Amino acid sequence: MAKPSLNRAVRQLFLLVSILLTSITSATEAQSPRPNLEGMWSDAPKTILGVFCQGWCTDAGINRLNALLDDPANDSRPFAELQTEADTYQREKYLRPRLTDAALKTYPLDPADDPGFLRCEPWGLARQIFSLHQLEIRQRGNDRIEMRYGEWDALRTVYLDRRARPANQAPSPLGYSVGRWDGDTLVIETSGLRANITSWRGDHSDQLRLVERYTRAKDGATLQLTATMEDPWSLREPLVVKKIWRWAPEEKITTYENCERPTEFKRVKP
Amino acid sequence: MRLLREWFFVIPTLVVCVAVASAHHAFSPVYDDKRVITVAGVVTQFKFMNPHAMMFMDVTDDSGKVVNWVVEFAGRLNLSGVGWTAESIKAGERITVIGNPTHTGSQRMFFKKIVRADGTELLPAAPQRLTAVEEERRQRALQRNQQK
Repeated sequence: MAKPSLNRAVRQLFLLVSILLTSITSATEAQSPRPNLEGMWSDAPKTILGVFCQGWCTDAGINRLNALLDDPANDSRPFAELQTEADTYQREKYLRPRLTDAALKTYPLDPADDPGFLRCEPWGLARQIFSLHQLEIRQRGNDRIEMRYGEWDALRTVYLDRRARPANQAPSPLGYSVGRWDGDTLVIETSGLRANITSWRGDHSDQLRLVERYTRAKDGATLQLTATMEDPWSLREPLVVKKIWRWAPEEKITTYENCERPTEFKRVKP
Repeated sequence: MRLLREWFFVIPTLVVCVAVASAHHAFSPVYDDKRVITVAGVVTQFKFMNPHAMMFMDVTDDSGKVVNWVVEFAGRLNLSGVGWTAESIKAGERITVIGNPTHTGSQRMFFKKIVRADGTELLPAAPQRLTAVEEERRQRALQRNQQK
């Protein structure tokens, strides 16, 4: 008769230990500050890769640029010319084939139709994360990180405690972001984005899902972003885009004081 | 109007500057990157701000009439990275500005270079970045040739 009691006690003890371990794991994940990304980052270092990836770049573009630089026949050509050629290559050979027919109808958007230019509308996340200038990363409490961008003085919150997006939260330009650590890499997943445009002046829909992976170089001097974008409306397959920042503790973000709406402009695309 | 010179050519090394500005806040719908103009005058105000710094200057034309010109720059974030401050250009200063005109030919231009009365120059960030990159490129080519 003592056996069932013993089994029950063992089961209860096992259950208790499991709950305890789960709590400790969750608490550790939520509270671990992982401060190695914290601080001020800014425009990429003045290197070949830094200049090429100061906005956005792809592996296809980087490989093309390296091939051009490794060819002695190009030694007398200005770097800017090679950079433009590699950029055109990544747009035409990597980006364009991944766009759906719907997205190709407006790609690339005429700069004169850019809402940021026309109406001073701050950028959406798919453009903001590739913006030039500063990115300030700060841990706030135990459950979130704040990311502030020099461009537009934009601020976003990344929740680290795996909280679900509120059901009634409307889509917004910067969406709803949850983050976790994968080793020393900060992984951020964002949904709830309003349809907007990308850094390569392509439209995306409100179905866009963005996964950002931030890794600091071993020497601490640079931060690299690898972003994977999935959007059934605009993309045939996931798009992987990169960016680099330089550690810049001396820099400050200054506010946006005035955005001037244009009074005179012309369309660039025929 | 003291419009000193106008050239109709494209400088290949400008591709980077133009690409950056265009991706930034839509340079190309407003300014003509294929033309460069030079305008001399007296600064009335320099606003060191985001998203773009702005300068206002009085330019005296050939008939003696004073016309106000607007000069647009990259943003404060960009300029401060290469040492610019709100005091880099002062009201009352006589300067010569080289830049891209608007498509419409209005009294407005996008900054490429400023020459002060004493001959010193103020430059944007992009050329300074390219100098470092060209040096890295030379070293890379040197290593490649040594390996052969």
